[in-house]
Amino acid sequence: MRKTLSIVLIACLILTLGLAAGCSKKTEQAAPDKGAPEKQATEKLVVGAIGEPHTAMLKMVKSKLAEQGVEMEIKDFTEYSQLNPALNDKQIDANFFQHIPYLEDFNAKTNSKLVWTVKIHTEPMRIYSEKIDNLDKLADGAIVGIPNDPTNSGRALAVLQSAGLIKLKEGAGVTATERDIIENPKKLEIKMADAATLPRVLQDAAICCINTNYALDAGLDPMKAVFVEPGDSPFANVVVVRPEDKDKDSIVKLGKALQSPEIADFLKTNYPAVVLAF
Amino acid sequence: MLAISGINLAAFFATYLGDYDWVPAAVLFASWETLYMVFLSTAVSYLLGMPLAIILVTSEKGHILENLQLNQVLGSIVNAVRSLPFIILLILAIPFTRWVVGTSIGTVASIVPLSLAAIPFVARLVETSLKEIDWGLIEAALSMGASNWQIISKVLLPEAMPSVVLGVAITAINLVGYSAMAGVLGGGGLGTLAYYHGYMRYQTGIMWITVIVLIVIVQGIQMLGDKAAGRIINKRR
Repeated sequence: MRKTLSIVLIACLILTLGLAAGCSKKTEQAAPDKGAPEKQATEKLVVGAIGEPHTAMLKMVKSKLAEQGVEMEIKDFTEYSQLNPALNDKQIDANFFQHIPYLEDFNAKTNSKLVWTVKIHTEPMRIYSEKIDNLDKLADGAIVGIPNDPTNSGRALAVLQSAGLIKLKEGAGVTATERDIIENPKKLEIKMADAATLPRVLQDAAICCINTNYALDAGLDPMKAVFVEPGDSPFANVVVVRPEDKDKDSIVKLGKALQSPEIADFLKTNYPAVVLAF
Repeated sequence: MLAISGINLAAFFATYLGDYDWVPAAVLFASWETLYMVFLSTAVSYLLGMPLAIILVTSEKGHILENLQLNQVLGSIVNAVRSLPFIILLILAIPFTRWVVGTSIGTVASIVPLSLAAIPFVARLVETSLKEIDWGLIEAALSMGASNWQIISKVLLPEAMPSVVLGVAITAINLVGYSAMAGVLGGGGLGTLAYYHGYMRYQTGIMWITVIVLIVIVQGIQMLGDKAAGRIINKRR
């Protein structure tokens, strides 16, 4: 009995070790072929992106960049959290998916020094309502739903401030909390809920601050929002690179290509909910 | 001692906690929210879960109110609700919550999904307690001509009481855990405070404070449960 047990245990151990070795081998192999290619004939540029409209925009500028001697490869990611680490690890040369506060948060938490080069577009947070069509009609003491995660709640408070509903302490920044509210003349009752859940509870509040993506997912019409986050918000989508590449020729060309009128037209026609940031 | 009680607490916090002077009040308020949610949803879930458990037990084959079809239907419903992850139940229940309490956001609103999640749990828990009773006792009562209602109220419930009371503590402690997710619908409470401030904002201190308060609450609930159950057992001797 004891013998069989030890055989089983040893078998398990060998299996585990074998698996572990197999895994580590795989990562070793994967690393070099994801690394930067060595050929220097044309300038190569690997750009990471995720989802739309970012990937579509990159595809649009691909041929334009080729004419300028930049051979761009678009790497479509499936995990937001992988894009910045991949840039740090030089698996990609630039990425285009995030807004500035996300970048700053990543830099702060991981001690990275990634920088953004150009602002392209904003998916603005909007104020939606099923009860009123104009913010002037907002009653005193009305319930206001805002997201509860740090960046989105801070962003929502800034939106409420832009709409003239509340006043925040100076320098509260993007991570402002309810405690930074210094003036609330309408005595609005601010309730925090999960960002993705807000469209579902919209009818239980007078107004809700909702991100464009969640609003679209829930079938809300951004054009019917009662207020739109101003275009100068820090939440613009930016191209992000390693600090030493900021002025690299290919990166500058990429930035210029993305800020072209064609891209502006493309966004206006296909993504009317988006606001240009250039 | 008198001097200490004379210190203005707010000023004390402001001096020693700096930017975090809001934390004690926030933790206190969140504790109240948690206790409020847990107490009310435990009460509601027992109000509805106990009868359900009694029906589940007595409708079983060979029991006093045998009704296999009813038993199977109720059993399947209980299993179905229990298989839902709480976070999904929370979202699915939004229209129902709105219908019951008029809104789907806030502390009061979160009592509805919490109770919904706890009712089938309570039903199974109490069912287990009721099944522990020696069949001989029920048989004896039956032979003395006890009615079904008398068997339920004079035999089943009193006999199972210590175990049921311990079950209340288990349920309440479970609900403390569930209530942490109430933040999704603006329910507040300690779990939300720990998650959105401690975890997401990297204010680790707040996370630990709430964890300690949660441990104290859970210990307290368990102690109360043990004591209440012990008292019932002692009375019998």
